[in-house]
Amino acid sequence: MTVLADDIIRVEPLMREIEDRVRDDLRRRLLARGGAPEYQDPEVFRSVDRLLHRAADRPDEHALLPEFLGPESDWRIETHVRFASHRPVTGPLVLFVKRRILLPLTRWLYDYTVDNFQRQERVNRMLIACIEELAIENARLRRDLEQVRSVRL
Amino acid sequence: MKLACVVQRFGAEVTGGSERHCRVIAEHLASHHDVTVLTSCAQDYVTWRNVYPPGAVRAGPVNVLRFPVAHQRNLGRLADISRIVFTTRSSPEEQERWFVENGPEVPGLIEHLQQHGAEYDRILFWTYRYYQTYFGLPLVADRAILVPTAEEDPLIWVDVVDRLFSLPIGYLFLTPEEAQLVSSRASRPLAPSSVIGCGVDPAPPHVKDVDLSMAGVTDPFILYLGRIEPNKGCQTLLEYFDKYLDSGGPPVQLVMAGFPNMTIPSHPSIKCLGVVDDEMRETLLAKARLLVVPSPFESLSMVLLEAWNQGLPALVNGRCAVLHGQVVRANGGLSYRYASEFAASLTYLLAHPDVARRLGRQGLAYVEQEYRWPHVTQKVEEFLSASLKV
Repeated sequence: MTVLADDIIRVEPLMREIEDRVRDDLRRRLLARGGAPEYQDPEVFRSVDRLLHRAADRPDEHALLPEFLGPESDWRIETHVRFASHRPVTGPLVLFVKRRILLPLTRWLYDYTVDNFQRQERVNRMLIACIEELAIENARLRRDLEQVRSVRL
Repeated sequence: MKLACVVQRFGAEVTGGSERHCRVIAEHLASHHDVTVLTSCAQDYVTWRNVYPPGAVRAGPVNVLRFPVAHQRNLGRLADISRIVFTTRSSPEEQERWFVENGPEVPGLIEHLQQHGAEYDRILFWTYRYYQTYFGLPLVADRAILVPTAEEDPLIWVDVVDRLFSLPIGYLFLTPEEAQLVSSRASRPLAPSSVIGCGVDPAPPHVKDVDLSMAGVTDPFILYLGRIEPNKGCQTLLEYFDKYLDSGGPPVQLVMAGFPNMTIPSHPSIKCLGVVDDEMRETLLAKARLLVVPSPFESLSMVLLEAWNQGLPALVNGRCAVLHGQVVRANGGLSYRYASEFAASLTYLLAHPDVARRLGRQGLAYVEQEYRWPHVTQKVEEFLSASLKV
């Protein structure tokens, strides 16, 4: 596909060209800074890059791994506060004090913490997606290997 | 046809993409139909404070019926329920409470739909994210057409939204990407739909030039137009632009024009103009090297169409499927995903002004072809007529 077709500048191939140049610069920079020697091979780098791209693009809701982590309450970072009390009589008063006095007083600390938890959660989700992409890749390779073996036999 | 357009706010002073879309579509429909806009008395979307008087009023070619908002938005409560709904597996009751807290709570409008909904041939609801649509549309589902203006934000994945998407008898979308998003979200096939976009009038011939140097703008500059806030991708834009400057690309100034809702660093290469008048806006669009659109969430970027309308190329956030799709369909600019791609694309466009100009002209040709009013209104009319026959 050419950038110029029928006298129109097609932006998709142009963007791919720019993207390839950016990726190659990144590969060279990583190597210069002592990155993985496997990146000497541009094909290996491209393959890793594609895998990480797929992981980054995957919507959070579609991951399989969280299904195996057990109940959400055991692992999901809770970034909100739920107030509850088991005391039937003094409970409402305790809740009132927590909600209306303590929470507003400590709101700045709460917001600061929540922001950082949310950043951490974003990294966690990305890592989960990466693990899943690697697992998919591994399963695909295993299947291909089995097919090659069966053909040889 | 007797049509109702339901929207959270309405008025010439009201800014906001979906509100403006509703207003211009309603005004164009009014040349052939009896159009009534059902809305709240609020003018700003942060508090929903009642500003306009309740009741009926004529606004240009349309009738407007305003209903008071029951209470102003409590941002603390909305933030708390948002954290529950968007970060955990929340219950339908909690999700419904989110729609109440998000507002604008207009019980009068809901009552009007209950009592008079059957008097309208079709009722068009703008945006799925507000109270009036969530609680009003189910009451008149047999004649409801939803204009979701959906974006790839967390609300689209909330469970109760799926039920809402199964109710209307038709959809009007702004872009193919929005149609794809809503259809991939719904658990059942969607009702018939049409991608209408929004009409754009031809740019007026340039009348008066504003002296940009008086405002501290230096050539060459790239332009950001719109509300300046992190949600619109401005924080990321500033970080990427800083990295671009470090990368040693051609010198350029970033000019930001719009209401500032965040801190903008003091830097000789960054100029924030605040809200600008129409003359200044036209001059900026005429003189900029390109428009940058960093927003992560869009259902249709009107400012992008405005830039192309002036023949200006664009550099957009490629992580937003709608922006990327618009740029690719128009061949009217480039998209980036990371800081390094932003720097490389900006460098390319500044170093190849002839290519950049051609991309801008291609954007204009795309607007001429897809977004002129006769074309857009024809699509809406055809869709409404077809919906009556079903």
